Amino acid sequence: MGWLLVFYVVALVLLLMTSFWRQDVFTAKLVHEWTTDNYKQLFTGQDGLWLRIFGRTVLLATIVTLIDVALAFPLAWFMARIAAPRWRALLFLAVVVPLWSSILLRIFAWRTILGQQGLLNTFLVDTGILGKPSSALLFNERSIAITWANVWLPFMVLPIFTALEKIPDSYLEASRDLGAGALRTFRSVIFPLALPGVIAGSIFVFSLTMGDFVAPQLVGGGSQVLGGAIKDRFGVAADVPFGAALATLTLVTLMGFLALSRRSGALENL
Amino acid sequence: MRRLFLIAALIAGVFAIAACGSDSNDKKSTTAAGASTVKGPDINAKGEGQLNMVIWEGYSDESYVKGFEAETGCKVKAVFAGSSDEMFTKFNAGGGGQYDLASFSGDASLRAIKSGSVAQLDVSKLTNFKDVAPQLQSPEFNTVDGKQYGLSFVWGANVLIYNKDVITTAPDSWSVLYDPQYKGKITVPDNPIQIADVALQFEGAASPYAIDQATLDKVTAKLKEQRSLVKKYWVLATDFEDLFKSKAAVLGAGWSLMTNDLKKAGLNVAEVIPKEGVTGWSDSWMLSKNAAHPICAYKYMNYVTSPKVQAQVTDVTGYTPANLKSCPVVGEERCNALHITDASYYSKIKYWETPTQPTNYKQWADAWATVKG
Repeated sequence: MGWLLVFYVVALVLLLMTSFWRQDVFTAKLVHEWTTDNYKQLFTGQDGLWLRIFGRTVLLATIVTLIDVALAFPLAWFMARIAAPRWRALLFLAVVVPLWSSILLRIFAWRTILGQQGLLNTFLVDTGILGKPSSALLFNERSIAITWANVWLPFMVLPIFTALEKIPDSYLEASRDLGAGALRTFRSVIFPLALPGVIAGSIFVFSLTMGDFVAPQLVGGGSQVLGGAIKDRFGVAADVPFGAALATLTLVTLMGFLALSRRSGALENL
Repeated sequence: MRRLFLIAALIAGVFAIAACGSDSNDKKSTTAAGASTVKGPDINAKGEGQLNMVIWEGYSDESYVKGFEAETGCKVKAVFAGSSDEMFTKFNAGGGGQYDLASFSGDASLRAIKSGSVAQLDVSKLTNFKDVAPQLQSPEFNTVDGKQYGLSFVWGANVLIYNKDVITTAPDSWSVLYDPQYKGKITVPDNPIQIADVALQFEGAASPYAIDQATLDKVTAKLKEQRSLVKKYWVLATDFEDLFKSKAAVLGAGWSLMTNDLKKAGLNVAEVIPKEGVTGWSDSWMLSKNAAHPICAYKYMNYVTSPKVQAQVTDVTGYTPANLKSCPVVGEERCNALHITDASYYSKIKYWETPTQPTNYKQWADAWATVKG
């Protein structure tokens, strides 16, 4: 545990330090001269482009997290409380098995599904909903959100499933005995008890979306997200210190989100 | 409490090490005033059994690599880069030495030489050197102060590719990529170096890699106009090909490799060199200073610059080989189409360079980020 912390902390400290250095434009070597230029560029550069990218990424991450909560909750409820034990195990496997396959493959699959000659377009044209294949399904922010929502869903289902499974039947019976309808029971009994699981799942999904650059590159269009912008700075845009500053911003945001979640007690129930 | 102290001490230690240490490569990069020849490995010796390279797609195709592996016993492991900077970054990652060879284009090659990450080549061990086209033997992008750092391999232009089924008359101007008629059907490279193309084609810049801020601003504005017409900015050749294959794009800026691959896949595509001129790239093989497998590296360089294999490389990529003796191998018609022996055609292409002034690559990269949004 100590060693893990050491390697993790050292890497983060190096990242932070790099964000205060410069890079020689020609040789691409790091120049160890302290400067706050990278952060100046982050907050004021390119007419606020980087803040726009940050805002866009946070918005997308929030939307994807909410979609996943909406999709995961009914599924987790069914798995935890309605399905027979035999089916519960199979459903659990069905949720987990995709994680065993390459994420790159799954994201690529969405590229094929949403493409002009893909499954979705073929379905929409064959059923007459569309006259001809739509090019609006792929290579935009929508397709990134759809892909993310699908790929990270297991990380939302599992914590919620764990939380819901723990709710004793007696609580629900007691709620019914006291005269509460299904909606009231959900609002006052089920959701508060499931909340730690929801928050834990949200931490996973939100963090994974904030840093991802694979889905944006494969199914996204021109508009950038934070993960992609950082990746570019370590590759084609060759500006490692600025990339480190962007990465530090991402980290600070996630730490803030974690701090908020901690106060709700969700982390103790993981 | 003790753990916190340990972490604090560690952080302080990291600070001290990183702040004091300077890149040791800096000391090696000064061009010594000594001999301009260097002794390479014995290329007739047995290879090391392995070869790692970071290259452009098509430069280690099965069709000719299998022969190399059988002949030399050097197992080839290749990683692709989508842009010169990606190749440069990968090559230097972890202090270099991860890859033995890279196929640097003229922009990255000079950066590699200046940063001291590539080794000087022993020309006496490069068996096809004498047959390389004269303008490509020791060009300024791979030979510095009389020292040979690269072996020219192939060259080509960044061409306009279009789907003939949709666009029935061949376009003759780059402005077709800015035509609202093709909104949502265009693809261009996701690479700040595109700025040079626009500078050349629309701002009449004679030196498109040395443009001032005013020109850069005009170019950025033009690219922003194009933004809404672009379906996707492609990163790897396969992105470009997928877009054309799924009919998501019918028009784009790409390489002959794509035209070749798409034709092989049965698509009715063609490429043109529009009247405003083209940028291009001239690729050299470069050897890492810390190469773990130098014998295999030299063997590969000699293998892929031999006339027969150069023809095979052209079959795969459509690029023009540097070895003049490949002309009879591909036949007269193709030799003319590829301009293998046409030095004046070669001189018309504006090859990739790393912009340093008046505007530098970082400024270009930041401008490109504002285009994508």
